[in-house]
Parts: sequence; structure tokens; C-alpha cells
Amino acid sequence: MPDHPNHRPSWTEAERLAALRDYDILDTEPERAFDDIVDLVAALFDAPIAVVNLIDEGRQWFKAETGLGVRETPLETSFCAHAILEADRMVVADATQDPRFACNPLVTDEPRLRFYAGQLLKSAEGLPLGTLCVLDTEARPEGPTDIQMRALEVLADQVMTQLNLRRSLKHQQRSQAEFRAIADSMPQMVWSTLPDGFHDYYNARWYEFTGVSPGSTDGEGWNDMFHPDDRERARTRWQHSLETGEPYEIEYRLKRHDGVYCWTLGRAMPVRDDSGRIVRWFGTCTDIDDLKRLDQAKELLSQELSHRIKNIFAVVSALVALSARQFPEAKPFAQALRTRINALARAHEFVRPHSDVSQPLMGDTTLHNFLAALFMPYTDDEGRPRIRISGDDAAFDDQAATSVALLFHELATNASKYGALSVPEGRVEVTTERTGRGDFHLAWREKGGPAIRGTPAKAGFGSSLATLSVEGQLAGKLSRNWNPEGLEVLITLPGTALSRRKAARDLTTA
Amino acid sequence: MPARILIVEDEALVAMELRFVLEDLGHEVVGTAADSAAALALARETDIDLALVDIHLSDGPTGVTIGRELAVDHKVAVLFMTANPGMVRNGVAGAIGVLSKPTDERIVQDAVSYALDIRSGEARNMAPPQLQLFAQEPRA
Repeated sequence: MPDHPNHRPSWTEAERLAALRDYDILDTEPERAFDDIVDLVAALFDAPIAVVNLIDEGRQWFKAETGLGVRETPLETSFCAHAILEADRMVVADATQDPRFACNPLVTDEPRLRFYAGQLLKSAEGLPLGTLCVLDTEARPEGPTDIQMRALEVLADQVMTQLNLRRSLKHQQRSQAEFRAIADSMPQMVWSTLPDGFHDYYNARWYEFTGVSPGSTDGEGWNDMFHPDDRERARTRWQHSLETGEPYEIEYRLKRHDGVYCWTLGRAMPVRDDSGRIVRWFGTCTDIDDLKRLDQAKELLSQELSHRIKNIFAVVSALVALSARQFPEAKPFAQALRTRINALARAHEFVRPHSDVSQPLMGDTTLHNFLAALFMPYTDDEGRPRIRISGDDAAFDDQAATSVALLFHELATNASKYGALSVPEGRVEVTTERTGRGDFHLAWREKGGPAIRGTPAKAGFGSSLATLSVEGQLAGKLSRNWNPEGLEVLITLPGTALSRRKAARDLTTA
Repeated sequence: MPARILIVEDEALVAMELRFVLEDLGHEVVGTAADSAAALALARETDIDLALVDIHLSDGPTGVTIGRELAVDHKVAVLFMTANPGMVRNGVAGAIGVLSKPTDERIVQDAVSYALDIRSGEARNMAPPQLQLFAQEPRA
């Protein structure tokens, strides 16, 4: 490349060459579109020579030329090599008067060039690739006319438009090839549809998994690959996405090549054009069969375990009773112990993981439901409950179950031994309330029982158990008021005390 | 009057405790079965007045079927015992009712007395509160 000390280009030769290579134009056959342009330029300038000239490494190569008869020449004698160092164009009115070209063999010898006008061909990024130029063997001291230069500019633009179009197409094809390569290497099945949902692309994984022949599931054929029970649901969901543009997501069973239906997660997203209209849907199918079966197995195991635990309660309870038979004096102790164990068992039954069969029959795992079950033995002669529950209900989980069961078991047992429930007309009111601050208040109020004469001297074990359950396990507060009309027990619990597991989970997902 | 009672329960200790409870009442326990085969074999071989039937047994949740067959085919007074009474919420043909496990001696004794009275035609207004009765179909 000739030195041009006054002009520092903003690009490197390496960059320029790379840009030129990207156009994939060097050494291609002549084409009508470019031939027409050089013919027009030559005619407009009334000159013998016009060229679409591309400056390669060590040579200049002509995509189109008239008046030269060759398709490339060395760079040393090139006019255009100088031209590309200019900003946009170069005009040489008389080469013999220009120090850059006076000694150029093309000027001093055949073909004795005198006049040159060249418009730069620049890549989309602004790198000069070459020129659209015109040459004459006669000097033009007055230079080219304005309209000639304007025409040269416009036609150079046309040349670049052609080249750019071609390059875009090549890039697009490469993009497509890259997409297919990625899509076929992904472990998931990939598919794509037209805006109306017509499936026109599936990657290699889809065909491997389903075993269907290429093209056979185009259009609407995909739905037949689904399990019969899932077809309607999937079709409806897909339809909804097509209409609203909402991302598509659904779990269904897809038929594998061996006929086995496997759980699959189908997802799809729309691709929109600049005006926001959907032009295509891209989707994936992910095999979640193993995951789902694992989940189901875990679920089953959990139910198995909980069933076993329930059985263990029954066995322990029976053991206590059986052991006490040998020691008649231990019978009251055994009885007290047994009822506590039974209360725990009842609570466990309430909060344990249930199967699809038993869950709906349990009712919600709420405090009121549980207490109602716990207090079932305490009914009057007409079968009406003697312990009435009212107020705000609350969910409670297995962590709170023990405490809740023991607490109310103790209160009820004591009431039936010494308090309101020890006489037929005695009743108990249980009220629960969730306060504005999020705390949970429980009140146990006995009425109609034997008159109370002050606070008992010593707390019984049952009372200690109740206090321990509330203040230890549930981190709450318990107070007893030995009112003349009946015992009143007030309990305050932090809002999350009854469902600590859920509260912890909510915290981590928040 | 002493009755002949069958215990259908797969937890041996629970069955044993039940046996003692019933014998305390003066009844005779004719056998303990842990699955449907054993239960129905006993029913075919001996006369049984009343059966206490757990729903979950060693061969699965077969207690409901056993109870129905004992009641309908062998005219046994059937009381289900289960921790999950909801499983027989809609009743079982021929059976009297269901007790929620865990129970205690008193409840079992009250329920057994009630069931035997019903079976022998004695009128009883009120069942023990822990015994959930099934709606009775007219006997064929």
C-alpha cells in the first residue's frame, strides 16, 4: 500500500481486507447488474474505461470492467489504491501533472492514462473496499461535470446496495445453519411454528424421541403424539397462547418411539417483529418423566412412612395398656399416659401427608377441625359438644401438632377431672383470634363447674406440660386465671407459631 | 351375654390389647386375622357374632371388603376401626359403624355393647359419641 503521510486512516489494512472477504465477491463470475453499471458510467463520462474495482491483498480485482480486457492487475500501478485513502472520492484531471501518478507506467506508457474519477465503495461499517471509477486517455483540465460526479456517486451506491444485499443473505443463511446446529445439539426437543400455530420445524431430538418420519408431524400432527387424555387440554392451552401471545407451558405425556408415554414439559415463546406482531413461535419439549416418577415415588414413600408412624402410635398405645395389665396399681398412670399418646396420634393423623384418597376426606388441616376431633368425647346426653369452638381459624402443621394436641388434651382432661366438665351442666368456651398485629390469641374459659377457691398451691404435671408446650415449643405465653366462675386460660402465640414450616418457606421464596 | 368376636387387625400388639379388653367384658375372642384370607376363613369355620375390623391390613386396604362380606354373607355385626374414618364415610352395606382409632377401653366396650344390642333387636336411642353410625339399610 502506498504511503500517504498526510492522511491517517481510521482502519487497518487487516480490518479492510477482512471486510472485503466477508462480501464473498472476489473471484466471482461477471454479473449483468455490475456490467450494466460500468457501461453506464463509461457512457455518462464519455470515457473508454470504467471499472468496479476491489482492492485485494497485492492486487486489484475487477468485478466488472469495460475497456480494460483483464480482470485483475497488480497494486503497484493502481490509481484506486490511492483513492481508497481519500474520504469519499478522488479526481485526477491530468495524471501527468500529479506527482502521485506522473511516473506511473500506466501514464508514461500504454495505455497512457490521463483522467481518473473514482467514487469509494465503502462497506456498511465504513471500510473502503475499492472504487467505482472511470478513466480516460485524454486529460480533462476542466474536470468532470457536477452531474457526472453525482451519477458516479449514485451508481457507486447501487453497487454497494447489491453487495450488501448479497452479504445479508449469506449471513442469514449462516444464522439459520447455526440455529439448526444448536437446535440439533440440544438435549431437548425443539420446534417452531408459524404465527397461526402451524408446526414447520422440529429438531433432530424430536424425531429421535418420537421415531416419526421427518415432516409427518408438520401442521397439526403433533397433537396425535400426545396421550389421549392430554390432547384436549394441550390443544386448548396452545390455542390460548396463539390468541393471546402468552408464553405456552404445559405438562403432558408424549409418545416415545417404543410406544411408552413419557411426561414432558412443553414450553414456547413468541418472536415479534418491530411492530409487535408475532411472526413465529419457538418451543421446547423437555423430558421430565424421570423427575415426575421420582416425585410420585417420593410422595408414595412419604405416605408410607406416615402410615407407619400412625401404626407405631397405635402399637405404643397398646403396649402401654398391655404393660399396665401386669401392674394394676399403675392403671391410672397407664390411662393418663395412653390418653396423651392418643391425643398425639390424633394430631399426627391430622397433619401427616395424605394420599389423594384420604386427603379430601380429612378436611383442611385447621385448628378448629382438629380441636373438634379432639373434643369429640366431650358431649352431653343429646350428643351436643360440651366444648364450643369459635373465632378465627388457623392452619397448623406437623411442627405445631404435638404442642397443640398436648395443650388441649391437658386442658380438657383437667376440666373433666376437676373443672367444668366434671359436672353435667359445665361447659367450656374456646375462642381463637388473629389480631391486627398478626399474633394468635386462644382463650379457654370454663363455666358452670365447681366453684373455685383460689389458685391451687402446686401446678400439676398436666399444667406444666401445657405451659411447656406453649412457652417452649410454640414460643408463646400462657396465663391462668382462677376466676370464681371457672378457670380461664389465655394463650398468646406469635403469628407463625402454628405454621412455622410454611412461614420459613415463604421467607426463602420471598 | 357373652358374644363370639373376631378381631381383624394386622398389628399384633393392638390386636392383643383388644382381645384383653373384650375378654374383660366377658366376651370370647374366636380369633385374630391380619388379612382377608385369614378373616374369611375364620368366618366360614366358626359362628361369629361381632367383628372389629381395621381397614388397613397386611394385604392392603382390604378391610372394607372384608367387613361387607362378613356382614352380608355371614350376618356378623361389623364395627370398623380406623384412624381414617373418612374412608368409609358413605357407609358400608350391612356394617353398623366406624370407630376412630386411637380408641380406649371404654369406647370399645361401649361400642361393642351397642352393636350387640342392635344385633339382638334391643332398642338403643343413643350410640356412644365416638361411634359413627352408618345409615341402616333394611335387611333382606
